[in-house]
Amino acid sequence: MAKDHQKISADLSDALKNGITEEAKSLTQKALDQGIKPLHIVENILVPTLTEIGRRFQDFEIFLPELMMAGEAAEAITTIVEKATLDAGQPSLNKGTVILGQVEGDMHDIGRNIVGTLLKSHGFKVIDLGRDVTASAFLDAAEKENADIIALSALMTTTLPAQKRTINLFSEVRKREEFFIVVGGGAVSEEWSKEVGSDGYSADAAGAVELCKSLLKK
Amino acid sequence: MKHTTRLMDIIQRSLTGPLMDEEDFNDKHVTQGLARVIKAYDIHINQDQIINQDDALADRVWEAAVDFLASCGVYCQTTNRLILFSKTEILDILKYAPANAWIGEGTDAVQEVARKIEDPRRPLLMGSSIGTPIEDEYFVPSMISYIQEPEVDVTMAPTLTNIYGYDIRTRSPLEILSSWREVELTLEAMRRAGRPGMGFTGVGSSISDVGQLSSDGPGGLRQTDLHTFGIISELKTNFEILNKLTHIIMRAGIVDPYANPIYGGLGGGMDGQAILITAAMIALNVFFMATCVGTSPAHPFNFNDTGKELLLSSGLSFQALARNSKLMTNLTNTPVGGPGTKTLLYECIALTVMMTVSGGSRILGPRSATGSITGHFSGLEARFTGELLTAASKLSRDKAEEIVQKAYSKYEQDLAQKPYGKHFKDVYDLKTIQPTAEWCQLYDEVKNEAAGWGLSFD
Repeated sequence: MAKDHQKISADLSDALKNGITEEAKSLTQKALDQGIKPLHIVENILVPTLTEIGRRFQDFEIFLPELMMAGEAAEAITTIVEKATLDAGQPSLNKGTVILGQVEGDMHDIGRNIVGTLLKSHGFKVIDLGRDVTASAFLDAAEKENADIIALSALMTTTLPAQKRTINLFSEVRKREEFFIVVGGGAVSEEWSKEVGSDGYSADAAGAVELCKSLLKK
Repeated sequence: MKHTTRLMDIIQRSLTGPLMDEEDFNDKHVTQGLARVIKAYDIHINQDQIINQDDALADRVWEAAVDFLASCGVYCQTTNRLILFSKTEILDILKYAPANAWIGEGTDAVQEVARKIEDPRRPLLMGSSIGTPIEDEYFVPSMISYIQEPEVDVTMAPTLTNIYGYDIRTRSPLEILSSWREVELTLEAMRRAGRPGMGFTGVGSSISDVGQLSSDGPGGLRQTDLHTFGIISELKTNFEILNKLTHIIMRAGIVDPYANPIYGGLGGGMDGQAILITAAMIALNVFFMATCVGTSPAHPFNFNDTGKELLLSSGLSFQALARNSKLMTNLTNTPVGGPGTKTLLYECIALTVMMTVSGGSRILGPRSATGSITGHFSGLEARFTGELLTAASKLSRDKAEEIVQKAYSKYEQDLAQKPYGKHFKDVYDLKTIQPTAEWCQLYDEVKNEAAGWGLSFD
C-alpha cells in the first residue's frame, strides 16, 4: 500500500510539473480513492511541487507557458481536493481570496498572469479582474467576493496614481480596514507602496505569494 | 508620412479580420507559433557569448520572424479580431520603409538613419530618463541636465507626478492638462538649455488617446517631433492605440512606436525572445506605419534589459533587422543601477556597445534605476552613453564582445542587490546644473577603465 501511495504521489507530481491537467485530475481522484488524505495531497505533493516549479520559473529553467499549464493543473487538483475536504466535513483548504487587477489605464497582462498563476497554484482563490480596472470595480469585486486581499498592479509610472486613487476610495467609503491591499508591478517601489498606504509590496511574483501568505497569517 | 490609403487598410482589417478569443491568440498564435518557427528555422542562441557573431543565425531569426508574424498577426482587443498581413504583403511593405528621418527643427535638427552591423556612423542618442517620475521642482533642471550635453541629439520628458498639486487621472481633464504641461515644460527646458529646436518624444505623461492627442498640435508636439505610442505585449492593439496612430498620420508626424516583449513570457527563453522582438519591430512598421521602430524588452523580475538574456536576444534581433531591412531601430537602455553608482555606468557600456555594433539607429535613456525610483536619473549617464556610441562605432563585433564581457562581469552580481543610487538633487548642483565632484569621479574612473579595455574616447 505504501508503495502504491508513493507511486501515485510521484505520478501526480510529474503530471503537475508537466502541466497535464486531465492526468492530474484523474490521479488526484485515484489518490483520494486509495485513501490518501486531502491535506496530505496539498502539503506533501501540491506545495513542494509548486515551490519547485516556482523556483524553476524564477531561474528561467521554465517560462510562462509552462508555468500557466502547471497552474491550470494545480487549480484542477485544488478543486477536487477542496470538494473532498468539504464533503468530509473538514474546513476549507482555501488560503484566502485575492482580487487581482491592473489599475485604471494600465493595459498590461503578462506580469499579472504570472502572479495570478502562482497565487492559484499555492491555494488562493484568485478573481482576476483583468486590465484597466476602475477603483469602483475593485471595490465592487472585493465586497461581492468577500475578499481577503486586493492586489493592485501597475506596470507604468503613469498609472501609479490609479493605485493611490483605488486605495483612497476604499478609505473614503470606510472599507479600508476590511481588506488587505497590496501593490506591485514594474513601476512600483517600496517607497511608493508606503506612500500610498498599502499593506505590502513585492518586487516579483514569488514574493507576492509570500506576501499574501504572511498577511493572512496575521 | 501622411498615407490614408494604408491607414484605412489597417483600420478595415481590424474591423473585418478573423474573430478570435484572446487566450487562444496568446496560446495558439504566439506561444505555439514561436515554438514552430524556433524548430523550423533551427534557432539556437550560443549562450557563451553576449553579442551574436553568427550572421547566418541572424538571417534565420529574420526568416523565422517574418514567417511567425504572417501566421500570428496582431490582435485587436477592441474588436476581438486578428489583423493579418501575408508574408508577401509584409515584405512588400518593408521595401517602402523609410531609411532616414529628420527629427527636430532648424539647426537643432538631427538625421536618424538606418544602420548596418558594425556601421561606422554613430547612432543617435535620445538622452532622457524616459518617463521616470520626478517632483515638479526638479522637472526642468533634470531635463536641462540632459539637453545641455552636446552628445544628446533628441530628448523626452520624465513623468509629472501631479498636475498643479493634483493627482493625474487617466481619461480625465487632468490628463489633458498634464499632457500640455509636459510639453510646455519640455519646450521651456530646451529653450533654457539653448536648443529650442531639439526633437523630443511625446507625450509620456498621457496614456489615453485623448490625453496624448490633445497636446499634439499647434503649440504642442510639433510635426518634427517623435510621436510615440506602445503596443500591448505581445502583439496586441486596441482602438485607443489606433486612434493615436490615426491622429499622428493625419498630422504627418514622425510615427515612433515601441513594443516591449517580456522575457520569460509568451515567447519563452532567448530563442523565442529574439524572434518575438524582431517580429514586433517589423509589425510596428507594417501594422502601425512606424517611421522608426523601438523596443524596451523587459526582465520579468528586475525590469531591466541589461542582463545577459536580454543583451543577447536583443542584439541578435537588431542584427537580424539590420542585415535584412532598412528599418531604423531603437533600443531603450533600462539599467538597474542609478546615479552615483558604478553599476549604472558598467551597464551603460554593455548595452550601448552591444546595440551600436548590432546596427541600432538610436539608443534611448538611460532609464536609470529601472525608471521606477522617483528622481533617480541624471544627465551625466547620458553624456557617458553618447561618448560610448561614438567609441563603439569604431568596433568590430568580436572586439565589442570582449569589452561587453568585461563590463558585464563588473555588474552581473550587483543586479540582484538593486543599487538604485541617488536622487538627481544629490548628484547635481542645482544652481549650476552640473554633476557633483563625487559623481564625476566615478564617471572618470569607469571611463578610464573602459578606455583600457579598448574603447577610444578621443
